[in-house]
Amino acid sequence: MSIIIFVLLRLAPGNIVDILFSTGGYVSESDKAAIMKELGIDRPMWVQYVDWLREIVTGDLGKSYRYDLPAWQVIKPLIPVTVELALLSTVIAILLGVPTGVISAVRQDSTLDYVLRVISLAGLSMPSFWLGMVIILGLVAWVGWIPPVTLVAPSENFKIHAVQFLLPAFAVGYRSSALIMRITRSAMLEVLREDYVRTAWAKGQNGRVVVWRHALKNAILPVVTVIGIEFAFLIGGLVVTETVFNLPGVARFLVQAIIWRDYPIVQNLVMFTAIVVILSNLFVDMLYGWLDPRVKYGD
Amino acid sequence: MSRSRVAAFSLAVALVVIVAGTPAISQTPKSGGILNAMQREDLPQGFSIHETATISSVFPAAPCFNNLVMYDPMKRVESMDTITGELAEKWSWQDNYRNLVFFLRKGVKWHDGQPFTSKDVKYTFDMIRETKDAQGKLRINPRKDWYANVDNIEAPDLHTVIFHLKRPQPSLLLMLASGYSPVYPAHVPAAEMRTRCVGTGPFKFKEWKRGEYVELVKNPDYFVKGRPYLDGIRYLVIVERGTKYAALQAGRLDISFPGEGTKTIADQVKAAVPQIKIETVGQTVVDNLLVNNTKPPFNNVKLRQAVSLAVDRRAYVKAVHQGGAAVGASMMPKPYGVWGLVEKDLNALPGYGKPADDKAKAKKLLAEAGYGPQNPFKIEMGTRNIPIYVDFASFVINELKQVGVEATLKQVDTAQWHPLATRKEYQLGANLTGIGADDPDANFYENFACGSPRNYTGYCDEQVMKMIDQQSQEIDVKKRQQMVWEIQKKLEEDGARPSMSWRLDYVMQWPYVRNYVPHNNIYNYGRMQEVWLDK
Repeated sequence: MSIIIFVLLRLAPGNIVDILFSTGGYVSESDKAAIMKELGIDRPMWVQYVDWLREIVTGDLGKSYRYDLPAWQVIKPLIPVTVELALLSTVIAILLGVPTGVISAVRQDSTLDYVLRVISLAGLSMPSFWLGMVIILGLVAWVGWIPPVTLVAPSENFKIHAVQFLLPAFAVGYRSSALIMRITRSAMLEVLREDYVRTAWAKGQNGRVVVWRHALKNAILPVVTVIGIEFAFLIGGLVVTETVFNLPGVARFLVQAIIWRDYPIVQNLVMFTAIVVILSNLFVDMLYGWLDPRVKYGD
Repeated sequence: MSRSRVAAFSLAVALVVIVAGTPAISQTPKSGGILNAMQREDLPQGFSIHETATISSVFPAAPCFNNLVMYDPMKRVESMDTITGELAEKWSWQDNYRNLVFFLRKGVKWHDGQPFTSKDVKYTFDMIRETKDAQGKLRINPRKDWYANVDNIEAPDLHTVIFHLKRPQPSLLLMLASGYSPVYPAHVPAAEMRTRCVGTGPFKFKEWKRGEYVELVKNPDYFVKGRPYLDGIRYLVIVERGTKYAALQAGRLDISFPGEGTKTIADQVKAAVPQIKIETVGQTVVDNLLVNNTKPPFNNVKLRQAVSLAVDRRAYVKAVHQGGAAVGASMMPKPYGVWGLVEKDLNALPGYGKPADDKAKAKKLLAEAGYGPQNPFKIEMGTRNIPIYVDFASFVINELKQVGVEATLKQVDTAQWHPLATRKEYQLGANLTGIGADDPDANFYENFACGSPRNYTGYCDEQVMKMIDQQSQEIDVKKRQQMVWEIQKKLEEDGARPSMSWRLDYVMQWPYVRNYVPHNNIYNYGRMQEVWLDK
């Protein structure tokens, strides 16, 4: 993984020194060589790679080429923003997607089912950044107000902080909820046709218990998988939403770092994203065992 | 009561009604408040103005520093007459414009408490000139050529600096007044300016939260008594265009970013929030065609002229800028600039006359060079993969098609664009050039002089060089103006680097922001010393 990140980044044309000179509007080959030497990017690629690995092992993430600061100092404040936004988006997606999916399945082919499916399809067809921009422009047009454009800490003003995150989380969560709703619906339709569900109905068991305890519990595994994938995707995929809502998170910063060819920042942010994907998959796998006792590991 | 008395009484009543009905507008500056300014991207080189050529660094760094001289912040159109002292209390030209003597203010302190002296001035400009005995070194030095005519800089005492010139150059003062010419402290390494700023300016560095904002606070020891009025300035980084103008409309921002306001956006903002004040100024940024003079096919002047004739400048302004630009040759046109060609002369240049006639002339020149329907002239047009560049290039390609030139578009990553242009590895390019001062020296020496690193087209003409040197030494402004007009005509006729249009900036600000006066040069009005909030 680390090799792929390292090599791919360097395959992109140009480097930080080219960008620096482009802000100066000229190029001097001798000055360029001096800066490349200063940054250590004149060395063979494998030497740079080994150096990077050695630094990671010792807990040193290197130095941002662009900001001339330790990479960790630059990255550290970005992580909580993206994690908070991704978590909140996922929670909103679950709260919207799972109940509507269940209702849609239970009321299959009813008017309510059609309405919910149309809403869900709209969510899938609407890019979250577009919805985000519509929210921002709608607020300006109708209320003449938008949340602050710099991050407000919860300790400073919890309400404003909540609004800063809820709006983008809704824009992102709505799209994810559409996917979750459709997966929940199809999984539920399958389970609702199972013999044990039919038996429960025949025994005259309470409808809520049948649907929410027996059917949903058995239909939830594919839904959890999708939720896990969606969360992992959000960690790196919030680029445009963070940009539209001007939230200083990992994804927005990653794009800027790529544009600037700030290798230490990009490498570490991509590694961070990869680690989150791995951990969320691990968490989902562990959740399987808890949700469905039939799933056992290590036997 | 006589008729005249009735009339006088009625007038008095009417005046009272008018005065009572008019909201009180305070004209006495008030101190206090934080100005929230738009910042289009994070600072590319921090506060190191001398290491950059982008407004993204100059605008937020300007309040931290001072120049020797500056353009009067309250006057929109800059010229020699609007230059005023800043760190220099007075100055004097001596020995027929060969020596420029600055008498510096006394008692000025750097933000860290160290005294400002002539040593700082010598340190700064020796560093830019890269003299052998320079005490500092810039990592990137885009404006070394501005000071090519400075022979040496002398600091005879702590408060006097003398610039000794190789030949007379009155316009040196204009370049020293540019926002690109702050004085750095000799006791702080220049590299530190990439992460913070230590200046003598009206505002001190407080915080730079990367990718989010830059915060400056009032310098209580500022040498101009009673200034600045503001308690501080926050530059809020907003990359997304829709978000930044939504923030301006919602009052999260007080002013727009220099050079960012297009006519379309300004019209939309005005329609949404009629009370927002919008001013149209030149921004000393020219859209120009890079025509590689050094290699075939464009080392053939006929083909350069054909390309220039093929592109209808007025249609370009309408189509690409929706009217938000001004047609002009290699100097910014009037009334936005001082040195531009007058309409009559402009109309006689290739690409500025009647489009059908110019296109017919272009076809004729192409035929003379051996190209026609049987043997079409095929070229590649390069540009940066940024929408404003691509729009520009696409328009030109379409115009060229109308005269039978088959041009293909090659979009290049930003990181690659300047290296390609500098190495002259292109045929035709769509380019934007910002000029630090509306002055022929700043423009001609940088973009048209033989051997200049930013002369991307490689145009080099001995006669033009002589003309450039002559106008540079000319003390009589009227004579100089005439010379500059001749140079512009010659450059356009040679197809050296055809100008497409000069961008206009639609500067937006809330009416309670006072004394924020946009200039005809985006780099030169960021000091914020006079700005106050009428809230």
